[in-house]
Amino acid sequence: MSRLLLLALLAAPAAPPDPTALLQRAEKAVLGENAVYTMRMGVQRPGKPERVVEMKGFKKGDERGLLRYTDPPKERGTAYLRVAGSTWLWLPSAEKAVRVGAKQNFGGGDFSNGDIFRLSLSRDYVATLAGAESALGQECWKLELKARDRSVAYDRVLMWVRRDGTDFPVRIEYFTLSGRKLKWLTFSDVGRLGAHTRPRLLVMESALESGQRTELRFLTIDDNPRLEDRLFTPSALERGE
Amino acid sequence: MIALLRLALRNLVRARRRTLLTGGTMALGTAALVLGSGVADGISRQLVSGLVTTQTGHLQVVARPLDFEPQNSPFDAYSQERLPGAVELARRIETEGAAVGVQRAVPLLYARGTAIAGNRTTLASIIGIDVPREADLLAAAPAVAGVPLPPGDPLAVYVSQAMARKLRLQPGDSVSFVVQTPQGAVNSGDGVVCGVFRKGAPWHENAFYVPLAAAQALMDWPGDATSVRVLLARSGEGALFEAQAAISALVARSAPPAVAGTRVRVETHRQAGRFFFSIIQANQTALVVLSSFLFLAAAVGVVNSMLMSVHERTREIGTVRALGMRRGVVVQMFVMEGLVLGLLSAAAGLLAGSAVVLYLGARGIAMNTLTLAWLAGGDRLWPVLRAASMGRAALAIALLSTLAALYPARVASRLEPREALHHV
Repeated sequence: MSRLLLLALLAAPAAPPDPTALLQRAEKAVLGENAVYTMRMGVQRPGKPERVVEMKGFKKGDERGLLRYTDPPKERGTAYLRVAGSTWLWLPSAEKAVRVGAKQNFGGGDFSNGDIFRLSLSRDYVATLAGAESALGQECWKLELKARDRSVAYDRVLMWVRRDGTDFPVRIEYFTLSGRKLKWLTFSDVGRLGAHTRPRLLVMESALESGQRTELRFLTIDDNPRLEDRLFTPSALERGE
Repeated sequence: MIALLRLALRNLVRARRRTLLTGGTMALGTAALVLGSGVADGISRQLVSGLVTTQTGHLQVVARPLDFEPQNSPFDAYSQERLPGAVELARRIETEGAAVGVQRAVPLLYARGTAIAGNRTTLASIIGIDVPREADLLAAAPAVAGVPLPPGDPLAVYVSQAMARKLRLQPGDSVSFVVQTPQGAVNSGDGVVCGVFRKGAPWHENAFYVPLAAAQALMDWPGDATSVRVLLARSGEGALFEAQAAISALVARSAPPAVAGTRVRVETHRQAGRFFFSIIQANQTALVVLSSFLFLAAAVGVVNSMLMSVHERTREIGTVRALGMRRGVVVQMFVMEGLVLGLLSAAAGLLAGSAVVLYLGARGIAMNTLTLAWLAGGDRLWPVLRAASMGRAALAIALLSTLAALYPARVASRLEPREALHHV
């Protein structure tokens, strides 16, 4: 009898998760609360050689992020700083920090500044569970995210999150106000990096411009760094700290 | 006076070669002035009519940021700020502004974004217009392929030649736009190219004209635009300021509140298009400098020619002085000679200069480089012949010739009859 009950419990479909909690877990799958990391970005354009840059990044909570180019040498020193809603770009050749829009593309690729420094999806979107689907060969929960207001870059976002208990995101699709798919992001190459197992390769592809894609490969991640607030200021950006 | 005139003509005919050389120089100077004025007037007309027809109208109602500083750029005339209730405001201005000469008031929506065709992208100026009411604007951008925006086609896109070339677009091809709305969201829209317009002013190279409703949907601004273009029956300064005052009062009375951080202004095309008027001013300054050199060269020529005339006619002057001609009459004789020479040269120069301006005005001058196209406000310049410019050139040359004759006349009048008669 008890064996039958156990079988019945195992056969029963898993209870649908709380979409907001699932979203919060999914968005912490790659980078946690605080992190210092290095990554390589490859921008691919049809008929052009791939442009590759390496960066070192710092993340502190949901409000602060900093990325510095470390390679190639001619781009070394270029840096992006995000503090709350503002993003600055430091161009060493001009020796000037200029404010840039969150929706402008990041480093000439398919990610926007907002995508790179997106610190909290759950803050900008209302999540609902849109069912269970398979994505990239994984059983996933499908989340539908609707922007809380019209100031959010993508009016609608679809997100597939693994159902295997890891809560790793697998695919994210971004839509414009008019409902057109703008681009999609895939998470792959799950493996150990730093203290955790996580997706290590993020690929953003444009839905409007065929053949355009940008890869972000995380090379190292330190999940428990001590980061001071003064690192995340425009003056620190200028000093090259 | 008639005798002096006859004498002047006789002297000019007698020294035919010298008259031809001096007069020819002045005629060339006059022709150059007429041509220079024709070119400057052509640039001025082209810039102002382009500004009025395609951008601002004679007046525009526009929202500007509170800290707006013009950048002396052709894009200053456009605003990307939202003008709430622009469509309704345009209707009211047209209805209630008839008394101050308002012929038409039409909303326009200017936005910047990205245009995408296949795997090609480019930055785009997306300009939403009220198609059935913008015949003049569309006529200023004539089609080189396909047709201008047809009324009633919500998907039509009229693209500049430069953009069509860059995105490899032809009539019938699809094009997509991606913009960031002022609220912050990313939006997209699709269209089908109905026509390609001739590349005109360089600042219209990135232009994609679309129906106003399509631009409003793209920017998520139903009923709104970025400006209201007001076209007047009369465009003189008095009429312009009268209409500006009346429309400002109407806007203050009935326009919806401006978006935070902006204020609504009624600008004349001169205020909105300072960039264009600075080009016109620069051209006029260049013309004044050119004229100064021409005048100087012509004056030296006249003085030289007259001094030679005095030298050759020393004995003759001595004879008439000995016969009792007063010094004043001698001065008048030479001044009259200068005046007649100036008038004849001016007439010849006007004829030649006008012919050249008319010819170039009919054919146009290719502005092949980007700098020239920026200066002329288009890739082709059509000089214009204006009576006022011709009159100024003729008057200036005749006056210069007369004044330049004063010094030789004075030299001639000071000759002593006794010494002059002994001159060999």
